[in-house]
Amino acid sequence: MHISEGILSGSVLIAGWAGSLTGIAYGLKRTESEKIVRTALISSAFFLASLVNVKIGPSSTHLTFLAPMGLILGCSVFPAVFVALLLQALLFHFGGLLVLGANTFIMGISALSVYILLGKFIRESEKKFLTFTLSFIAGALAVMLGTFLVGLFLGLTDGNFLTAAKIIIVAHVPLAVIEGSVTGFLVLWLKKSAPEFLA
Amino acid sequence: MIQDSFTLTFLPEKFYASRNNFAPESLLLSALVYALAVSVSNKFSALALAAILPIVIICVKKINLSSLLKLNVINLVMIITLALTWPSILGGVKMGMLITLRLNMIYIMCEFMIFPLGITGIYEALCALRVPEKLRVLIILTLRGIFILHERLETALISVKLRAPNLHGIMKLKTFASILASVLLQSSSHSERIMQAVTCRGGFGGFLQSERESVRLRDMLVIVSFMIYSAVVIKCNYL
Repeated sequence: MHISEGILSGSVLIAGWAGSLTGIAYGLKRTESEKIVRTALISSAFFLASLVNVKIGPSSTHLTFLAPMGLILGCSVFPAVFVALLLQALLFHFGGLLVLGANTFIMGISALSVYILLGKFIRESEKKFLTFTLSFIAGALAVMLGTFLVGLFLGLTDGNFLTAAKIIIVAHVPLAVIEGSVTGFLVLWLKKSAPEFLA
Repeated sequence: MIQDSFTLTFLPEKFYASRNNFAPESLLLSALVYALAVSVSNKFSALALAAILPIVIICVKKINLSSLLKLNVINLVMIITLALTWPSILGGVKMGMLITLRLNMIYIMCEFMIFPLGITGIYEALCALRVPEKLRVLIILTLRGIFILHERLETALISVKLRAPNLHGIMKLKTFASILASVLLQSSSHSERIMQAVTCRGGFGGFLQSERESVRLRDMLVIVSFMIYSAVVIKCNYL
């Protein structure tokens, strides 16, 4: 889901940075000092999730961990995504530093949207099946929203990218199902053992 | 050898000596200004002008060409995809080549100016650029968290593999999710206790920074020269 360096146009890069800086500033303001360790740990989990390969047919992809991030961190998700992507760019050269703003915005807004749309219902649901279903939808939705935004950013750079963007969206459907399942089981476990962990 | 305070790895002294030639923030800003100029350039003439610097760097300094080669193998897949999805094959190949050229140039500059700074250098640069302390502390804690979580997850996954080697499908996902959740919970409660102890002692988990030197002339010169070079590249693009 990382957009590589050198693809996006200058205006799209600036728009990405503007969006992500707003999100980071708001997220930092909302992050209490006591919660900073939890934010860092979830950011680390997001970093590590990208190293977990998931085999889909002859190809393979990696987990994104976007929905659990959003559901656990809530409004603090933007700084966590930014830090993890910065470390990925520096240590593994994934994505890039100039495109970091756009990548942070894409992933941060996906995770935040899932929290705003479904977070309250997941917290309040008491039946296991309903919790799993809602979390599954959250996990799948975060991935699909992220890929849609990747497509949008590519489309804004050049309209001819749209066909490639459609392929990217379709290719991420199996990952959305896997991510949805992992999110469902993870949230079920957290609701049973430590419900206060969810934002 | 000097131990890096963040990654705990040992680095040669000459690494630190060479790094101290310029302030990290000036290297970071200069490379980003250059990367921005390359990213907005669509004409091959402008990119040819911008390519002078990376070519000089390849000739003078030792750049890790194997990682550059790996990067270009991925780019080849991208060029093929664009050729197949673009309205015309030639247009797709041209766009793919343009992106590959930009990516290579930005990568070489980052490999030369930013990646050698390491996390310590980036942290110093962020301090100098007055990035909020909360964000800087988050970077340190995330880096530490990666090592902790990686170690704990690896141990947990090995034990699962030993006990149930034939896990497949939905059960595999369920097991992975449960392991991840329990590791997160354990690490979080443990780390939060340590953080409380740190804050009780009056800290915020960050590293103390010595008083910054006033901006040095050579650092200013680097930034200004990169800005002029980038402005010329952008001007060439719109001619």
